[in-house]
Amino acid sequence: MAASSVRSAMWRNGKARVGLVLAGLFLLMAVVGPLVAGDPLAFVGVPHDAPSAVHWLGTTGQGQDVLAQTLVGAGPTLLVALLTGALTVGIGALIGGLAGFLGGRVDDGLSLLMNVFLVMPGLPLMVVLAAWLPTGPVTMVLVLSLTGWAWHARVIRAQSLALRRRDFVVAALMSGERPLRVLVVEVLPNMASLLASSFVGATTYAVGAQVGLEFLGLGDVGAVTWGTNLYWAANDSALLTGAWWTFVPTGLSVALVGFGLTLIGFGLDEVTNPRLSSPRAPGLPVGQPPGSTPVVRRG
Amino acid sequence: MVRAAWWLLRRLGFYAVAAWAALTLNFVLPRMMPGDPATALFGRFKGELTPEAMDALRATFGLTDEPLWRQYLGYLGHVAQGDLGVSLAYFPTPTTEVIGAGMGWTIALAGVAVVVAFVLGTGLGAMAAWRRGGPLDTIGPPITALLSSFPYFWLAMLSVYVLAFRLDWFPVRHAYGLNVVPGWSLEFVGSVASHAILPALTMVVASTGGWMLAMRNVSVGTLGEDYVGYALARGLSSRRILVHYVARNAILPNLTGFGMALGFVVSGALLTEVVFSYPGTGYLLLQAVRSQDYPLMQGLFLAITLAVLGANWLADVATVVLDPRTR
Amino acid sequence: MRRLAAVAGLVLGCGSDRDEAPPGVLTVVQEQQASWVRNFNPLVVSGSARWPSACGIHEPMMIFNRMTGVWTPWLATGYAWEDDERTLRFTTRDGVKWSDGAPFSAADVVFTLRLLRDHPALDTSGVWRRVVDVEAPDASTVVVRFGEPYVPGLAHIAHLPIVPAHVWGAVADPVTFTNPEPVGTGPFTEVRVFRNQVWELGRNPHYWQEGRPAVEALRFPAMPSNDQANLALIRDEIDWAGNFVPAIDRIYVGEDPEHHHYWFPPIGSMIFLYPNTTRAPLDDARVRKALSMAVDRALVVKVGLYDYAEPADGSGLSDVFAGWRDRAPGADADWVRHDVARAGALLDEAGLRLGPDGVRRRADGSPLTLSVIVPAGWSDWVRSAQVVVANLRSVGVDAKLQALDFSAWMERLTRGDFDLSLGWSSEGVTPHVVYQGLMSAAAARPVGEVAATNWHRFADPAVDELLDAFERTSDPDEQRRLVHAMQARFVREAPAIPLFPAPSWGEYSTSRFTGFPSADDPYAGLSPNLSPDPLLVLTRLVPVTERQLTQAD
Repeated sequence: MAASSVRSAMWRNGKARVGLVLAGLFLLMAVVGPLVAGDPLAFVGVPHDAPSAVHWLGTTGQGQDVLAQTLVGAGPTLLVALLTGALTVGIGALIGGLAGFLGGRVDDGLSLLMNVFLVMPGLPLMVVLAAWLPTGPVTMVLVLSLTGWAWHARVIRAQSLALRRRDFVVAALMSGERPLRVLVVEVLPNMASLLASSFVGATTYAVGAQVGLEFLGLGDVGAVTWGTNLYWAANDSALLTGAWWTFVPTGLSVALVGFGLTLIGFGLDEVTNPRLSSPRAPGLPVGQPPGSTPVVRRG
Repeated sequence: MVRAAWWLLRRLGFYAVAAWAALTLNFVLPRMMPGDPATALFGRFKGELTPEAMDALRATFGLTDEPLWRQYLGYLGHVAQGDLGVSLAYFPTPTTEVIGAGMGWTIALAGVAVVVAFVLGTGLGAMAAWRRGGPLDTIGPPITALLSSFPYFWLAMLSVYVLAFRLDWFPVRHAYGLNVVPGWSLEFVGSVASHAILPALTMVVASTGGWMLAMRNVSVGTLGEDYVGYALARGLSSRRILVHYVARNAILPNLTGFGMALGFVVSGALLTEVVFSYPGTGYLLLQAVRSQDYPLMQGLFLAITLAVLGANWLADVATVVLDPRTR
Repeated sequence: MRRLAAVAGLVLGCGSDRDEAPPGVLTVVQEQQASWVRNFNPLVVSGSARWPSACGIHEPMMIFNRMTGVWTPWLATGYAWEDDERTLRFTTRDGVKWSDGAPFSAADVVFTLRLLRDHPALDTSGVWRRVVDVEAPDASTVVVRFGEPYVPGLAHIAHLPIVPAHVWGAVADPVTFTNPEPVGTGPFTEVRVFRNQVWELGRNPHYWQEGRPAVEALRFPAMPSNDQANLALIRDEIDWAGNFVPAIDRIYVGEDPEHHHYWFPPIGSMIFLYPNTTRAPLDDARVRKALSMAVDRALVVKVGLYDYAEPADGSGLSDVFAGWRDRAPGADADWVRHDVARAGALLDEAGLRLGPDGVRRRADGSPLTLSVIVPAGWSDWVRSAQVVVANLRSVGVDAKLQALDFSAWMERLTRGDFDLSLGWSSEGVTPHVVYQGLMSAAAARPVGEVAATNWHRFADPAVDELLDAFERTSDPDEQRRLVHAMQARFVREAPAIPLFPAPSWGEYSTSRFTGFPSADDPYAGLSPNLSPDPLLVLTRLVPVTERQLTQAD
């Protein structure tokens, strides 16, 4: 499917449209937020002040403006998530693509690597790594990518394994082009939709995992991100003191971003694999055997 | 049959390699750390200790300056004998003992939660696929997606505060009541059950959606297979087709995922245990990280990895049993 | 729907509800643990022994009361310095029995001290660096001989938890010994229950204080986090705790003003902003004083500590040493007062002039950039440091906050690889230990070498002379004069920037027990975190129910 038709099909897909709007709104917030919000760390009011006309979302346990922190926190959080998404898919495409495309020994070796990373327990590894590396966004991206790439590599491997046997790839190889070039120029573009949906999936995962790690105090607690907002809220016993407003806005933001991204993922799957969406009479057989949607996990 | 056995054996070989990789990672990581545990531990007392205590701590932990390769061989040898060293935070208790105390609780809680979520999710997924475009299929995935989009600990904390603390519907913490004597008594089992409901529930809520979607999408594919069309043509009941033809085949890919998910949940239980003060390994890990207890950190990471490998192996066996092609 | 859970429980045959302790049992939360590990070795330093090991099961010879600043005789009835402060003589108490009924004597003290000599890992305060010999000439006398006079050694020896020779004599390795069935002289010695989530410690049947303790047993539920401990406090499931509670007036006291109380006296260690005095321009006392005057301590304690602490005074000493401070006019440092104008003037005077961008320049023209390091997990310090950084920026210092993992922070602090760092002062029973850590040339290590104290590497030989003189005298007036002289050096040199004395957290509920220390009855510190002081409290508590039951009868 051509890129432009995917784009218009995405917009026609109800779920995808809601997702795109949601994600777009938060991206806008990440860009515009810091411009309109004041210094999120400034002490502007009494601690744990309920939402009012002055502080629309109240103040934190330290008398900082919750709205400003939520707005400013969007940027670094989404940036880390997007970078993680890109890096994860990048590593996945490289390793998975090479494995599927080259086959043989290379495939055996790389598949083993993928499987090893796949069975390594992610969260503990993240906790341990995040504790061992210097805190900050770079560490966060590295830790999340390192623990998240294997799944995508596996899916991409399966796809490139299938594409390798296609005529245009065989032809390109026969004409003497270097395999790596064929992989990058011919094969990867042909799984653009898979890469896109992997990217969305990895980004969604990165938002949640990042917030989780920062909540545990394993991020840079001096920075303002959604994760550290929740860390400080918990630190100030937001719930015990009844200060729900320090806890809810950021939590909702995280959920809505994640939800938006998931919907975009749904949309991508449905658009590129129409069998998954078109409603039919109950129980009637449908179409062809499944291709390779990311949900089909065959070891 | 031979093919199946051969395949299982190959998987076993792979798990061995994975275990070795985890072991090595485990060895390398703490050695990249700045400082030594004695200094770190000295610091934790925030000035309560005299400067002389730092030397006492070094003497206590018997820190060494051996060459790396020798340390590595020694480490592998010790691990092979089941010796994971002595925990620093719980000195002089062996880490294996500390971990052993928590592992059972984690596996029980996370195990129950993941099984319930898996059964519920795959069931709902199969039903959604069967009634394509029906109410379940239309609103199910978005709703479960929204639920699993909330940060897990956020939902968990909110539920502890609202459901347990304010409304008093559930116990606030722990795996069983403090006045209950552990043992195979009905009282104890009941206490464990009532303490597990809320943490397990939050895990189920957060993870059912994924299973549902996966099962739905695979089932949609399976429904397109010729044999399903043939069964329909023969006039078999919907229920029979759904259970025997569709679900059974569609569940296979999900099963592979199940082994992996079990691992994710065992480790994901970390957050659950933090919020619910559940005495499992997840909380231990966080505590080990916070108190710079490297032997315990290493031991826990290894134990969790081995548990995940074990779960995957079981999933492999289940796949062989369920998949007619391997027989 | 606890009903629902209870119904589910009932179906399975259970009705366990709230985790109430039986009457007469005091529920204490001091350690934050997810599950309990059985270890009652009071001598091992790592903090892995359960809390009462050194302040409930085993007892020291004397207890230094941080609130009153007075030594309370305990297993010893008194002490005396002899032979020009080279010999320390303790008289042990008669009639004290171990919990197994065997008599306690001076031989047990000697045994314990020799255990430290034979196992340096147990000698956490370096007693045997000064002590040459210890003996018991009779059953109630302990004689400790020092190589050189060392009066501060009293604290290390008097506070040592004493273990029974007749039990520990058979222990192969006292360093790894977990003392699972402890035999002690303390008020609570019998481990009644030990499970991963809760354990209980019952009374010593042979306790030497007549009619004490009135508490039947101590109960320790595993509370892995502040949040959980706070929930339990609010629900009145805990009688005595030492954890931090935010907005305590509202969420704890407000819940039950009649029974819920707290007391946070500032008797912890002093929290300092340490300037690395080996790095220019922090080697200049004027600059250090200027930075100190730039800090708005009232805001620091408000933001970092919920106003539970007070700004530091000019002596660098916390309230533990209130009686030692030189209160004469002008003896106090004026540079702990917030004064941005004077700070700026001092910086100008030191040659650090403002650049066009509002950042001061060093002599070579480079901007004055200083980073403040803190351990990432310590939220109160991170917040305090945030305020400090903002304050420093207001006087033209390009200050940056760096939150590091604890180990990494500790490594950089102890090796002297930092500009500015938050840190604590050493704790002890006299200001000797504080000023030693702040200014002693002997304690200063070269940059790159791990230093246990004096991380900012400030060496003042004049202070070493004062410290040396202090170590040789047991005369209170002379000691006080020497401390005042040290304070004068501190005020003159500003080796470190005091921020606030750390409060010691303590909460209690009087719904089941009374007799807790408080601001109105400060017979001891309330916090259970300050060992061995809790012995003073544990032996004073009285169950409420007991009295009421007697009346009802």
